[in-house]
Amino acid sequence: MRYARRYWMTFMLLALVSVGLAQPKDVNLWFHGGVGDAATAVQEYIDDFNQLQSGYRVIYTEIPGGAVAGSGYNDAVNAAAVAGDLPCLLDLDGPFLYNYAWAGFLQPLDDFLTPELRADFLPSLIDQGIYNGELYALGQYDSGLALASRRSLLERAGVRIPEGVGDEWSLAEFDDALAKIQALDEVAYAIDLKMNYGAGEWFTYGFSPVLQSWGADLIDRDGYQEAEGLLNGEAAVAAMTWIQSLFESGYTTLTPPDDNEFVNGRAGMGWFGHWMAPSYLDAFGDDLVVIPMPRFGDTPVTGMGSWAWSITSNCPQKEGAWSFLEFIFEPENILRMVDAEGTVPGRTSALAMSDVYGEGGALQVLVDQLQQGVAVPRPKTPAYPTITAAFYTAMDNILKGGDVQTELDIAVDKIEADIRVNDGYR
Amino acid sequence: MRRKDRGEAATAWMMSLPAILGLGLFVVLPLVMGFYWSLTDKRLISSNPTQFVGLRNYRHLIGLRVITLQAERTETGVQRRDADGSAIFPPLRPILRSDDSFLGYRELTTVTVFDRRYVVVSRDPTFYRALWNTTKFVLVIVPFQGGLALLLALLVNQRLRFINFFRAAYFSPVVTSMAVIAIVWTFLYNPEFGLINAILNAITFGLTGQIDWLIDPQTALLAIIILSAWQAAGFQMVIFLAGLQQIPDVLYEASRIDGANLLQQFRYVTWPQLRNTTIFVVVATTILAFRLFTQVDVMTKGGPLESTVTVVYHAVDQGFRQQRIGYASAITMVFFVIVISIALTQRAFLRSEREVD
Repeated sequence: MRYARRYWMTFMLLALVSVGLAQPKDVNLWFHGGVGDAATAVQEYIDDFNQLQSGYRVIYTEIPGGAVAGSGYNDAVNAAAVAGDLPCLLDLDGPFLYNYAWAGFLQPLDDFLTPELRADFLPSLIDQGIYNGELYALGQYDSGLALASRRSLLERAGVRIPEGVGDEWSLAEFDDALAKIQALDEVAYAIDLKMNYGAGEWFTYGFSPVLQSWGADLIDRDGYQEAEGLLNGEAAVAAMTWIQSLFESGYTTLTPPDDNEFVNGRAGMGWFGHWMAPSYLDAFGDDLVVIPMPRFGDTPVTGMGSWAWSITSNCPQKEGAWSFLEFIFEPENILRMVDAEGTVPGRTSALAMSDVYGEGGALQVLVDQLQQGVAVPRPKTPAYPTITAAFYTAMDNILKGGDVQTELDIAVDKIEADIRVNDGYR
Repeated sequence: MRRKDRGEAATAWMMSLPAILGLGLFVVLPLVMGFYWSLTDKRLISSNPTQFVGLRNYRHLIGLRVITLQAERTETGVQRRDADGSAIFPPLRPILRSDDSFLGYRELTTVTVFDRRYVVVSRDPTFYRALWNTTKFVLVIVPFQGGLALLLALLVNQRLRFINFFRAAYFSPVVTSMAVIAIVWTFLYNPEFGLINAILNAITFGLTGQIDWLIDPQTALLAIIILSAWQAAGFQMVIFLAGLQQIPDVLYEASRIDGANLLQQFRYVTWPQLRNTTIFVVVATTILAFRLFTQVDVMTKGGPLESTVTVVYHAVDQGFRQQRIGYASAITMVFFVIVISIALTQRAFLRSEREVD
C-alpha cells in the first residue's frame, strides 16, 4: 500500500508539472489605444493568435494616451521602464523610441527578421526603427500627411486640383487656393488645421514639414547637436510667419469646437492626417480628394513615422513575442488595422491588396509621398521629447501673440541646453 | 512610569502605528528621496549613470544675473532712435551666445531706465514666471473662493424645504474629477461657441464681445481662477456652514431686539463669530491653491506665453516630460520651503488675533 501511495504521489506530481509546462506561456502586451477601432483590432489579433497556437498566450493591456509625455501611455511606459517592469511587447510612437533604445530597454529585431520579410516592408518603416545601426522597432503601418478637400468644392472655387505627387501646388498657388475657398459662401473658413488637438505632438508632426519644405529644420541631422540657424533662421521665421498669417487673415481658426470641421462643411479643406481617412471617406466618398503637400520652397515635404512594435530586452518569452509580431505583420492582418485606423499599410504586398491605398485608390497620394521621398522623418534622437516640446510650445506661443523670432530663439536655447545637460546623448 | 501608564503608552503607539507607517512611507520617504535626487542629475530614462552634482540644480534654478545694455549712439554721441522714438539697444542674444559663462541663460525680464537697459537673465525663467503666476493665483482665489463659499453657506443655512438638495448641488463640483471639469470648461470657454461668452453677451447685450478666454495671455489665468473657485467653493461652503450653525440664535435675537437689520447682523454677529472658521478656510485654501496643476495641464499646458504655468506644472513638465527628475526634485524642494514658510507665517500672524471667547 505504501508503495502504491508513493507511486500515486509521483504520478500526481509529474502530471501537475507537465500540465504546468503545457500551459501556454504568458506574453504581456501594452497598446496605446489608438484612434477609431484600433483597440478592437488589436484585441481581435490577440484572440485569433491565442486560438491559433497553444505555446503562448498574449495578454492585452490598453493604456490610453499618446506618445507625448504626460499623456497616460508614455508616463506608464516610463514608470515601468524605471521600475524594470516593462511588458514583453510594447508599441511606441516613432520618434520616441530612440530614447528607450538608447537606454537599452529594447531588444534588436535584426535576428528575427528574414531578408524576404525585411525587403517587403516600406523602406521608411525599416529606417524609422533603426538606431545606432540596429533595428529596434517595426510598425505595421506608416503615417500619412497631406491636404484633403472636396472635388466639387474645389471646382466651384475655381482651384486647380493636383494630379498627384510631382504636381503639387507651389506656395503661391496654395495661397491663391485658400483665398478662393475663403470667398465661397458655403464655408465658414478655408482650412481646418485641427487646433482642437492643443499644443502637442500634432504641431510638430503636422507643421514641421512646412518648415522643412521652406528650407529650415528642427535640428541639424548631422550629429543632432545644434539647432541654431536651422530652427531660428530666416527660413524658419518665414515659415512660422506664414502659418501665423493663416490665423490672422481668418483662413482658419484657433478654437474649433471639435475634430469634424471639415466633415461638417465649416472648413473647405483639412490639414489631413491619415487617421481622419475613415471619417472623411464615410462623409464624402468619391468626392474626397487628397492633395499632396504643397511646395513651400524647392521641394515638398510631408511627415512620416507612426507607432511601431518592439520587444523589450527583459522579456522572458522573446520567441513568443516575435511569433505574435510575425502574425500581425501578415498582409491580411495589416489590412485589418488599415481598415480600423486608416493608416498606410507597411508592406508592399499589403499595399497591393488594398483598395484605398493601391493603384488608383483614394489615398494613393499618401503612399506615393512615402515611396517617392517626399516624407521626412522626425529627428531620430533621444533628444526628441525635448525637441518636440520646445517646438510645439514655440508654435503655441506664436499663434497666441508671441514674436516669431523670439519664440524660435527660445526653442533653440531649450533644445541645445538639454543636449548639453545630457552630454550630447552619446 | 506606573505599569498602567506604560500599557497605555504602548497602546497609543500601536494605535497610531498604521498612520505613522503610512505617513512615513508616502510623505517622509519621498521627501527624503526627493531631497537626495535633487543633488543628482538623475534622468528618468538614460543610458548614462546618475551622478552626484551637489547644488548645481539649485544654482540653475535660482541663479539670476543682470546684463546692462547701453543705448546705441552714433559716432558723434547722439542717441539713435527708432521709428517710435524710443532708444535702440543692442540685441541680447549675441551677447549671451558669445560668452561661455552665459551658457544656458535666457531673458527673464527687462527694465529700461533712460539710456540704460537692465536685463535680468536666468537659466530657468519659466520657474520665476511660475512662481509669479502661482502667487497671483493664490492672492486672487483665496478671497474670491472664500467669499463665494461664505455667500453659499449663508444661503444654504436657511430652514427651507429641499435645502439639502441645494447643499448637495453646490458641493457636487468638489467630488467631480478635476480633469473632467477642466475639459467641460474648455468647451464653455470656447470664444465662438462657448456658453460663457454667450451668457455674458446676453446679459450685457453684446458689450463684452468675444473674449478669447484661454487664448489671450491676459485672460487665461483669470479663466482658470474662475473655474477653480467654482469647483472648490463647495468644500469651504460646508466648513462655513458648520461654523454658522455654531452661532447661538440668542445673539441674533438680541441683535434684532436692538434693531439691527440683516447687513448689520452679518457685520456685528456673524462675521466676528466666524473668525476661527475663516482663519481655517484662509490657511487651507492658501495651501491647496499652491498645488494648482490639473487645470493648467488639461486646458492650457502652461500657455499662452507662459501666463498660466505654475510651479507644480513646471516640476511635472521638467521631471516627466523632459525626464529631468533630479532637477524637478530641486524645484519641489524649493517650493516646499516656500509653502511651509508662508503657512507658518500665516499661522503666526493670524494666531495673535485669535481669541476664543
